Amino acid sequence: MADPAKTKGTIKFLVWGILAVALVYYTWHSYSSGQMITWYYWEANQDGYAINADTFRNATKEKPAVLEIGSFAAISGLQAVKVKKGDRLPQNCNGIISEKIIKEGKRATLDGNSLKVTVPTETKEAKGFKYKDSFKHKGIHTNPWSGVQNLFMVIGMGLTLGYMAEGFTDMMGIKLQKIKHYEGAH
Amino acid sequence: MFDFAIAGIHAPLFLLMLTGFTVGIVGGFIGVGGGYMVTPALIVFGFPGYMASGIDMTHIAGKAVIATVRHRQLGNIDWTLGLAMVGGTMLGVEMGVRLLSYTKALGLSGVVLLMASVAIMIGLFLYTQIETHRAQKKINQLSSEGKTVGRELSTSSLPKLFQSIKLYPIVRCRTARLVISMWVIVLVGISTGVLAGFFGVGGGFIRVPALVYIVGATTHIAVGTDLLEIVVSGGYGALRQSMMGNVDMIAVLFMIVGAMFGAQFGSIATSYVRGPAIRYILSYSLILATVGAFLRLVYILSGAKFEVLNFAAVVFTLGEMIFLCFFIVSLVVFAVRFRQGKWVPPWIPSLVVSA
Repeated sequence: MADPAKTKGTIKFLVWGILAVALVYYTWHSYSSGQMITWYYWEANQDGYAINADTFRNATKEKPAVLEIGSFAAISGLQAVKVKKGDRLPQNCNGIISEKIIKEGKRATLDGNSLKVTVPTETKEAKGFKYKDSFKHKGIHTNPWSGVQNLFMVIGMGLTLGYMAEGFTDMMGIKLQKIKHYEGAH
Repeated sequence: MFDFAIAGIHAPLFLLMLTGFTVGIVGGFIGVGGGYMVTPALIVFGFPGYMASGIDMTHIAGKAVIATVRHRQLGNIDWTLGLAMVGGTMLGVEMGVRLLSYTKALGLSGVVLLMASVAIMIGLFLYTQIETHRAQKKINQLSSEGKTVGRELSTSSLPKLFQSIKLYPIVRCRTARLVISMWVIVLVGISTGVLAGFFGVGGGFIRVPALVYIVGATTHIAVGTDLLEIVVSGGYGALRQSMMGNVDMIAVLFMIVGAMFGAQFGSIATSYVRGPAIRYILSYSLILATVGAFLRLVYILSGAKFEVLNFAAVVFTLGEMIFLCFFIVSLVVFAVRFRQGKWVPPWIPSLVVSA
């Protein structure tokens, strides 16, 4: 006859395992379908030009990237869309070159109906460690619901994976008893 | 290599899972989030700094939930103590962040931050080392007298002092077997929260010793209860970081999957050891992190002349993760050998439990 504790463990493992797989699939689907990315690059947080920073990451002062300014619904390659604070961002946009940066003229300048980018990255530091910072993520505002969605997913994953692992050890017959903290001299 | 569309980089998934796994072991065992190790690792993998902090904080929340589930099963969580501390911790973190902004405004943050962290960590390391060494000697002495030694033994007299403060309301923590003023718990939460907010970390490496040496909880309960705190503070951090757009969820997902295995091992490993073993490893993690911070401090004070110091700081910080994992795994292996009656080094019996 099957050990009831092991049977209970198997049920626990299966139920939480299915929930964990469903949550992982949902996260993966939200990411790969572009829904999560759209929520991230939601609206402009400052006046400037919406761009896709990945398209000109190799630009230099000698070989600047020239971005065509227009009112595109989706950014494709070297294009930029003028936006004001609070505007919804065009598709494929992942950052904003602010009016301030253009006025400074050190990294990007306006040239008629185009935007010339000469310094796409600068070296910054976080907790003492250096990294290359681009225009990506600059001046954008994330949909507040993405924070709630992420929190739900991460806590959900923690719970489902945690209980699934607990079910697994129960199923395998690995008895994990409560620790007796106060036995013996202490 | 995987294309992280939100972070905008290509990075190997295997390394992310491995990082999650190793930090999971350490976090599950000593009750820390491991932020001071993960953020630099992610930067080394190519993630921008803001993204590294966001991914780190979000993965910590998930990993803490996994470890908390297991520590709950092992009876290492005092819910009353944990929940009483949460409010103070959150208030403290906010105060710490404001203090950081103030020192930044004065143009002091980098040097002040590093000097303060080096001083506090060295102080904690020395106190933990001395106290734990005394505890280990006492265990050996009791064993030689033929007495059964409990899982926990602390020689610090500080908890008695704090427990004698009769300021109402008084809280009864059943699992930790403590009767203590609520104000002590709240003040511990605030002060450790200030340090956590100021240093930009989860604060487990300060909170676990505070729970042991000030509140008087056993080390195992301090670890489990601290992980519960990290669920709340990490969850809040994850929400804020996500709202700022600093989180790539796929990177978090893979780190959590790695952390699931690591946190299981780390949490279950606590059932093989006595309190002093956990405190030893916590103190080693403190001193190794201090060496990394000290190297960066010298690098900054020397006007960033010696790039080798910065490189050594990176090596130390990442090496620490591997060293601690190796230490924990060795301890469990020796504990199993000890249970089987096989040879173990002479310092092992006082650190592990026989059954």
